[in-house]
Amino acid sequence: MSEAVSEIVAETNEGARLRFKKRAVDRLIDLVLLVFSILMILPLVFLVSNAFKTPAEMLAWPPTIIPADPTLDNFKSVLGETPLLRWIANSLLFAGLSTLAILATSAIAGYILGKFRYRTLNVIFALFLATAVVPFEVYMIPLYFQAQSLGILNTTWGLLLGYLVMSFGIFLIRQNVIHSIPDELLEAARIDGAGELWIFWRIVLPLLRGALGALGVLAFFQAWTAFAWPMIVTTTRESYTIEVGLALFQTGFTVDLGRLSAASAAVLVPSVTLFILLRRNFVQGIASTGLKE
Amino acid sequence: MLTRKRWIFAMLAILPTLAIFAWVRMYPIADTLRLSLHKWDILSKKKPFIGLANFQELMGDRLFQEALLNTTIIAFGVLIITIPSAMVIAALIFHRTRSRFAGFYETAVFIPHVVSLVPAAMAWKWIFDARLGPLNAFLGLFGIQPQAWLFDPVLSVVCVIVLCSWQALGYAVLIYIVGFKSLPVSLYEAAKLDGASGPQSFWFLSIPMLKPITLYVSVVTLVSGFNVYAQAFVLASDAQGAPGRQVRVLVLDMLENSFRNYRVGYAASEAVVLLAIVLVLTLIQFTLLREKGGRS
Amino acid sequence: MTIAVDTHAKTFKRGLAKAALLGSVLGAGFFAGLSAASAQTITVWSGYPEMAPFYEHVAEGMKASHPDLTVKVEAIALREHEKRIALGLTSGSAGPLVIELPGSTASRYIENELLPAAPDDVAAFVKDPANFGPFFIDAVSKDGTVYGVPLFRGQGSLFYNTDMFEAAGLTEPPKTMEEYTQYAEKLTQRDANGNPTVSGWSMRLSGGGQGIAEKFWINLFQYGGNVLVQDANGKWKADYANEAGRKALKQYLDNVHVAKTVTPEMPADAEAFERGQTAMFIRESWVIGDIAAKAPDLNYATAPLPRGSIALPTNLYVSAEGDDAKVAWEFTEAANSPENLVWLLQNVGWLPNRSGVDYSVVTDKVPAFGAFVNYPEGYEFFTLPAIGPIEEVLTRLAAQLTNAFGNASLANDDAAIDAFLKTASDETNQILAREDLLAQ
Repeated sequence: MSEAVSEIVAETNEGARLRFKKRAVDRLIDLVLLVFSILMILPLVFLVSNAFKTPAEMLAWPPTIIPADPTLDNFKSVLGETPLLRWIANSLLFAGLSTLAILATSAIAGYILGKFRYRTLNVIFALFLATAVVPFEVYMIPLYFQAQSLGILNTTWGLLLGYLVMSFGIFLIRQNVIHSIPDELLEAARIDGAGELWIFWRIVLPLLRGALGALGVLAFFQAWTAFAWPMIVTTTRESYTIEVGLALFQTGFTVDLGRLSAASAAVLVPSVTLFILLRRNFVQGIASTGLKE
Repeated sequence: MLTRKRWIFAMLAILPTLAIFAWVRMYPIADTLRLSLHKWDILSKKKPFIGLANFQELMGDRLFQEALLNTTIIAFGVLIITIPSAMVIAALIFHRTRSRFAGFYETAVFIPHVVSLVPAAMAWKWIFDARLGPLNAFLGLFGIQPQAWLFDPVLSVVCVIVLCSWQALGYAVLIYIVGFKSLPVSLYEAAKLDGASGPQSFWFLSIPMLKPITLYVSVVTLVSGFNVYAQAFVLASDAQGAPGRQVRVLVLDMLENSFRNYRVGYAASEAVVLLAIVLVLTLIQFTLLREKGGRS
Repeated sequence: MTIAVDTHAKTFKRGLAKAALLGSVLGAGFFAGLSAASAQTITVWSGYPEMAPFYEHVAEGMKASHPDLTVKVEAIALREHEKRIALGLTSGSAGPLVIELPGSTASRYIENELLPAAPDDVAAFVKDPANFGPFFIDAVSKDGTVYGVPLFRGQGSLFYNTDMFEAAGLTEPPKTMEEYTQYAEKLTQRDANGNPTVSGWSMRLSGGGQGIAEKFWINLFQYGGNVLVQDANGKWKADYANEAGRKALKQYLDNVHVAKTVTPEMPADAEAFERGQTAMFIRESWVIGDIAAKAPDLNYATAPLPRGSIALPTNLYVSAEGDDAKVAWEFTEAANSPENLVWLLQNVGWLPNRSGVDYSVVTDKVPAFGAFVNYPEGYEFFTLPAIGPIEEVLTRLAAQLTNAFGNASLANDDAAIDAFLKTASDETNQILAREDLLAQ
């Protein structure tokens, strides 16, 4: 009897030890991840704190994380002297339209390439795939002269020219369509007499919602953070996107780090907030593609 | 009858996308190839055909070689840092996936990826500042002399690598987390019963099974590493008062040749070389990482 | 029947009314268009943001004679400015423009027939010796034809902090290049470890673009060398792989690596000077306006350089047709009115090129301009050659120099310095050869 009891006690103790060990490991991992997360965010924290520093404090050594003498001057002068809001508007418009274009083209192309088995489509898909590997910067220059000859430099259309389609987007939707939309469903609809367009609109698109959500987030941030292309397409101050405007902020004769940080911080806030809101969407969307192949 | 209708629908539906693709992607790519064989200075109407002369000149161009070297070091540096770190961090986050902190970790890791490049680079530019930056202050606690991070030829490249890795990690980690979530739990249970420890099952199970993901992440990271531009531009911008050492990367050299030296044909030949490199590296990665894990 | 006729009549009347309405709208539009045509807009493109107020001032002055004229001023950073010109002019989509360009850069546009020649009356204004010296007329002309109107120039002089000079026991500015190094050593302030905290002489050691090469050329010129020289046939070749080049480069290396009076990561240039982080540096006259704005209490003075200086004439060109062109050229002439030029000197600080204007109002008040305007007899000037590949030559030289400046082992090794200069000048000549500009 006592042996059985002591066995049970031993097992319970063993269990407790294991649970304790598990919890300790968990705590350790939490600590590591916490430190890591803080390190990741730290540069941005610095940026925001610099935005509130007076010029004198910017030169202080060692540098402080929390400004001793916070000021809103940097923000005021940045908003007053540079078309910051205009730049943000430019970026928003560009990113928004680009997202729409990419979603539209990827959805329809992905669907067709995924569900319609024709040889011509295979050729087309191969073409898309082949060009997917080519970095944008490689063909950026001839595309630029296209924009120039069309007279759309310094406009949102000019910016959009490089960001209308995303090979990865087509690929993503195609994967999704193959994995999550059973052929039988479509056939059933067809037998019921539904038109192809109706099928696409009413059946396929709703099923693609997750993937489209993820793609939308990707496309938006790709356009929002685009640099090289907007850099060459925009030459007037009003048409800069926020990236270009900030980068060229500092090619005057002197650099004012405080104002620069204020401008950067002002842009940072919408990006981060937007992402925090969309994060779950994004992760789910990626997961739903079954990124196996 | 039905299949005919379907075929027409398919073709019509894909036509707009195909047309746009041809216009903004295929035609410019072909044009780049074509331009690389000509000489054109943007301004003149003459574009004489010069065959492979651009490429020949490129081979002996000191600045191009420097750009190529820098870019290669940066791209591979970022790759070597990002892949292992991303895998480990993703594993850790996945381990704690049921805790309420998981969302926070994911967000914190991914935020660098979505913030605008330029503000982020500005933040780092200040961190690396030799006189004012917190990095030197931090190192000073350990008695290390303040370094001229942005001016030293070697350290400035390191700075670019750090900045790019910081941004690339987020995306890689997220993809890996998804990967971990889709791994079969049963295998791990079996391994545990066999006495495998956490790190062991990570090494012998997770890594091989994650090969397709590693392939994808490594291709994406390496390709974007070769296209680095904004980071180098901002960190070393030629603001007169606070310049940094200009880390010459391929895209920068290309744009300089194109818009500053007015040599579009020459810049196009550089683009072609960049393309060739990217294609070759992608192919290599596919062969290396596809071999064994083809059908998992 | 009557009803039908009535309807017809009504329709007819309605139609007539519509026609009348349309007619009057069109007519009004036509007349409005006519008067709108005289409400013109020209755009001024400048590569110097600090020039924007000047152009606006000129526009203000034209309001009396041109009440319907709108002048849009777009001044952006120099590199971006050059790019937008290259792309704007070739696409022909930029509208009537007044373009501010250095003469050396304008040459390639003129060669490609992208900038029209100046109309006769403007050409006469430019060629009048009472208005401009031959150096400036040359800068806007090609083969005797005038293409633009001179405006201002960049000219280098020494700026030095008089307080720091006094503290170091120096009463006069340096007169020879050797003295520059000696002065630098005396003026450098150091910390406990011997590292310089205030540089004696702020030299251009890093940064992108061609600035490093330009500043190097200024120093080189004092030693009698030049980055590029022209031969009798109008061709060019590199001229710095010689004793002058060696001395100039050696001076950089001595200051950075041997005497350690300056390092690349120290604050540099105008900003450093204004903050008291450097004792002296060589720069153009715009710094005077900058100091007045940002460090009005700074005690400083200027002095001419030992042998001569760079003079970079920047001119105004017009890209427009018909009526727009006429107004645009009038703008360029208005910009050169004595009143405007004095305003330019006083408020912006760049040096106007026009002769026969009394600048004493400014120079009396601000003696710092003295070094720029009252230079000694025999002072020599050089400028950037107006050849196509000039930017490429300078940018590549700048890249070479950046590496050289960072290379401590070159400092005491004359042979290595010579080897370096030979490599760099070979590269320069190669570029010239490629463009068929190399002297034989």
